[in-house]
Amino acid sequence: MGKIILEIQNLTKYYGKILGVKDISLKLEEGEIFGFIGPNGAGKSTTIRSIMNLINKTSGKVLIENEEFNKDDIVIKEKIGYLPSEIHLYDDLTVKEMLDYHENFYKKNIHKRRVELVKRFELDEKKEIEDLSLGNLKKLGIVLAFMHNPKILILDEPTSGLDPIMQNVFYDLLKEEKAKGNTIFYSTHILNEVSKICDRVGIIRNGKLIKVEKIEELSKKNLAFVTITSNQIKDIVKDLKVTVISEDANTIKFGNNLPYNELIKKLSKYNIDRILIEEATLEDMFLHYYK
Amino acid sequence: MFKRELKLNLKSFIIWISILMGLFLVVFLVYPSITNSANMGMIDEMMKMFPKEMLKAFNMDITTIDSAFGWLKTEGFVFVLLITGIYSGILGSNILLKEESDKTIEYLNSVPVTRKNIVLSKILCGLFYIILMVVIIGIFNFIGLSLSGEFDKKLYILLSSTPLFSSIVIFAICLFLSTFTHKTKKTLGISLGIVFVSYFLNIISEIGESTEFLKYISIFTLADIRNVILNVSINPLFVVLSIGIAVVFIILTMFHYEKKELV
Repeated sequence: MGKIILEIQNLTKYYGKILGVKDISLKLEEGEIFGFIGPNGAGKSTTIRSIMNLINKTSGKVLIENEEFNKDDIVIKEKIGYLPSEIHLYDDLTVKEMLDYHENFYKKNIHKRRVELVKRFELDEKKEIEDLSLGNLKKLGIVLAFMHNPKILILDEPTSGLDPIMQNVFYDLLKEEKAKGNTIFYSTHILNEVSKICDRVGIIRNGKLIKVEKIEELSKKNLAFVTITSNQIKDIVKDLKVTVISEDANTIKFGNNLPYNELIKKLSKYNIDRILIEEATLEDMFLHYYK
Repeated sequence: MFKRELKLNLKSFIIWISILMGLFLVVFLVYPSITNSANMGMIDEMMKMFPKEMLKAFNMDITTIDSAFGWLKTEGFVFVLLITGIYSGILGSNILLKEESDKTIEYLNSVPVTRKNIVLSKILCGLFYIILMVVIIGIFNFIGLSLSGEFDKKLYILLSSTPLFSSIVIFAICLFLSTFTHKTKKTLGISLGIVFVSYFLNIISEIGESTEFLKYISIFTLADIRNVILNVSINPLFVVLSIGIAVVFIILTMFHYEKKELV
């Protein structure tokens, strides 16, 4: 196991009596991209806001390189790049003024990196922030989060609003950051993204972390779906003891747990009109965990 | 950050100071024609018809309105007090809360700056504009009065510094109240309420002995205009009290903001 960069210890957050997240523990290694997925209201933003100390934790700790990260720890804040899901910046400023303002907060000179990122994301520095489209605002948010070369990046739905070309520019940037050894906490609900760029994935549901798994292991599980049309469909269901996902007259769809060999042998006894075996996508697996 | 705050709040400052200056400009232009005419006698007659208590409430029992300075001492300062008070109230309830209301706090919280520094920069900016407003309107009226005739300069200088005391306290109280909510809409009404209720309590407290106790709960008592006009001096107790109350509320603000959930 590599060096632990970000560690969440038993994070619990209640909003009054309402549960936000409960007992979340996680460790992120150096150079890792960790996908944090879950539906709306599962607790993704609560977790991120607790990490960032925007809200007070009911209990639990967040450690950055083994040091507890508290509200006013500006040394640790310098190491973090944060991109919120909805970006709200100062409408009275231009892009240039916003970037200048941002530079002022950091002791080190970050101007060179800023110029590079602005060029890469094709940002127009002369534009007023209030005139920026959602996509351009997101691009500015990305530049702000990355321009001080942070060791840890906390990204909340970073690609929403970006066009496909810019999404690719962004994925390339993530790969470079990973290659530099920087750690990325990547919250999203777009599963395709997770399988493309993340090393591990954590699934959160109703405020609880229900599964943490490596992406490769998740896809190794070769969960498959079988759709069969047959006039003996009732017998097949009884014989194979399958849990039917959907049913329509003589057609059923079920998740297959049997080795393929055994499945074929069993089915060969019946009269089959049509058969379709499909490998589960990450999305199916995700839904599988949510059942 | 302080520089940015100054820039951000400049526009509203210019609007408010323009209102005040415009008001006094009209007075300085119109007043000579009122005082030089025979109307003055009529005004004096009219004044006699008002009850004593009411005249007292506007300091008209201890001064006359037969000159621009006379007017300034009575109604004029009511406007200065109220407008600087309202400005301070709005500034206090907005300056810190605006980051949350506009949701820019999520950005500001992510950069290497402490909450204490955020609050301090905003307080300094607020105090700077309140002092600047009192100074500018003071100089403006000084010039206006100089052009209108003779007046007691020492009394004037003391008098024009009085809005500072009430305004700073209003600013600090509204700032503190703003740490209890997340939206500026909610605090605006409260801050204006504090200013007006405080002002009316102040007026009522002047009317009679039975209502005198009300002055202890009015922020405008700290401005103490009546005493300044009568004795040409500022009661040091009110200076200490104003600074003391403001400091207490600023400390409370910092303390509470430190624990606040910034959503």
